[in-house]
This record gives sequence, structure tokens and C-alpha cells, in this order.
Amino acid sequence: MTPRISVDPLSSTLFALADPTRRGILAQLAKMGDATVNELAAPYEMSLAAVSKHLKVLESAGLISRGRDAQRRPCHLEGKPLQAVALWLEDYRQFWERSMDSLADYLVMMQREREQPLEPATPKKTRMPKRTSRARRRNGKDG
Amino acid sequence: MSHSSATDKSQTSGRNNSNPSTRTSDMQVSTPDDAPLIVMTRTFEAPRDLVWEAFTDPRHVSKWYGGHGFQNPVCEMDVRPGGIWRHVMRTPDGMDFHIEYVFVEVVKPTKLVWQNADYGKRATNEPGRHPDNVMTVTLEELGPKLTKWTLVTRFNSVEERNSVLEIGFTEMIKQGSEKLNDLVKGLG
Repeated sequence: MTPRISVDPLSSTLFALADPTRRGILAQLAKMGDATVNELAAPYEMSLAAVSKHLKVLESAGLISRGRDAQRRPCHLEGKPLQAVALWLEDYRQFWERSMDSLADYLVMMQREREQPLEPATPKKTRMPKRTSRARRRNGKDG
Repeated sequence: MSHSSATDKSQTSGRNNSNPSTRTSDMQVSTPDDAPLIVMTRTFEAPRDLVWEAFTDPRHVSKWYGGHGFQNPVCEMDVRPGGIWRHVMRTPDGMDFHIEYVFVEVVKPTKLVWQNADYGKRATNEPGRHPDNVMTVTLEELGPKLTKWTLVTRFNSVEERNSVLEIGFTEMIKQGSEKLNDLVKGLG
């Protein structure tokens, strides 16, 4: 299938996101808004220099920007590059979720049809007629 | 790969994170940190043979593929290794998506493996292209009428491996980073 989601040359975004610390930093920014290196480094047992390195990667991937304030240079989350990648997988997940809900309902229907044929033309085997109650209950849940 | 209808959809219904529990209760999604996989599982109250049939017979697949409101005007499946799955899925708003997969492994009634038919021939950097991946469905019999479905989507290149990790972000969004949520929603 050819999705219309336009995904920019993703490599730098993806590389930046591949690291758990960097994802953590982005999550922090998402939660608390703009923050300084010191604030961002607080939850991690790593040097400020190491955190700064991560910030550089994020910055060059366009995932964050740094403020002008020479002292603090607060980091700011930039959502745009994230959007494309997040949509891809969110879409993928939702596709399967929808499809499996639909399949679940379809399976209920298949079982009902096979267990209780509409036409009494094939009365030979009525398999496990007791079990339908379960299937029915299941059907109450839409897909 | 699959699905993903068009942009409009992903931006409207794609962001239902304000209410994540309503539709996600049945399917579990996980993304191991150390492997290029997306793993989804769910359980069906149906015998395994029936799930297999519903999953591999195009007459059935065309009934559920895509979900409610979707139609599948074309669904041809040659279910054997090397066989082609040719499919057109129509979204509720009438957009058609042409899909072509090739089956890689078929072990009735437990395992079905397929991948995009142009596997390895895609320019992964090309804007808007999905990365190559291999999908493996396994069906596990938990009871006479209880079947566990597992879909493992495996990516190959480094880039694809990394893209897998984005779901970490999706999770984060889902878990209520409202700001990121709004940010992402507002752009686009």
C-alpha cells in the first residue's frame, strides 16, 4: 500500500529517536515544557557533557531547538519531525486493531452460521450447540 | 505492509489518544527495545482451524480486512510459499489502496508469513514509503474455542530497526503527554 504520509528523509530523526535517553529527554520536554540542560540531565546518571551530546543529536535532527538566552539555552521540543514517524506506526497499529476487531466479529458470525445453519437442509451435524452462548456474549462488543 | 489509509484519516481518527482505553483493550502491542520488531497479540474465541480459515481464504479475508466500514473489492490469495496476495482495500471515504504481498511460509494452521511483494526493491529513503517488513502470524490453540493470534512485524535495515522505536513515541503520546499530543495534533 502506498501511504500518502510524507516522511522526510527520516534517517536523522530515526537515529535520534533510536536512543532511549534521547526519547526520555523528548518525553521530559513534552511533559514539562522548555527546560535547560541541567534540568534535563537531572533524572540521568550521566555527565552534563553526555547529555549535551544527546541534545546536539536531537537538535541536528530538528527535534529540539535551543533558546537564544546564552546562559540557559533552554531546549524546546519541535513536534514536526515526530509527527511523520508517529503517524506511520500509529496508523499501522490502528489498522491491525480495526481489522482484528472486525475479524473477531466475523468469527462469531462464522461460528453461528456453522453451528445453526439457517436452512435445515443439512441437519446431520449440529456441532457443539451449547457453545453459542459464549459467542453471543462476545458479539455484544462491537468491533 | 498494510493499511494506513491516507493522510486525512491518520490525522483525525489517528489520534484517539484522549481515550486510549476504549479500543485498545483487546490487542496488545509491544516493541522490544533490542529487536527490530513490533509484536501484536490478541485472543479470539474461536477454534484455531476457523481462525486460520478466516485468515487465509480470500472470501473471508475480504469481509474483515481493514475493519468495519472498509471494503475489499479485490482480494486474491495464492496461499503457498511464493504465492501472491493481490488486494485492493477501499476506505470508508472511497479511497482505494492497492497492495501486493508475497507469501513466504505457510504452515497450516499455525503459521503464515508474508512480506511486501517488492521486498528489497524499495528506496527506503524515498518520502512516504513504508520500510520493507516481514509479517508473521502464528496461531496458538489455547482451548477448543480459544485461539491466540500473534503478529510479529520484522524490519530489516538499521533505518527500519530505528523506525520501530518510534512506537515508543506513540506510546508516550498515548499515555497522556498532553503537550506532545497537542503539538502533534496541531501540526500537519
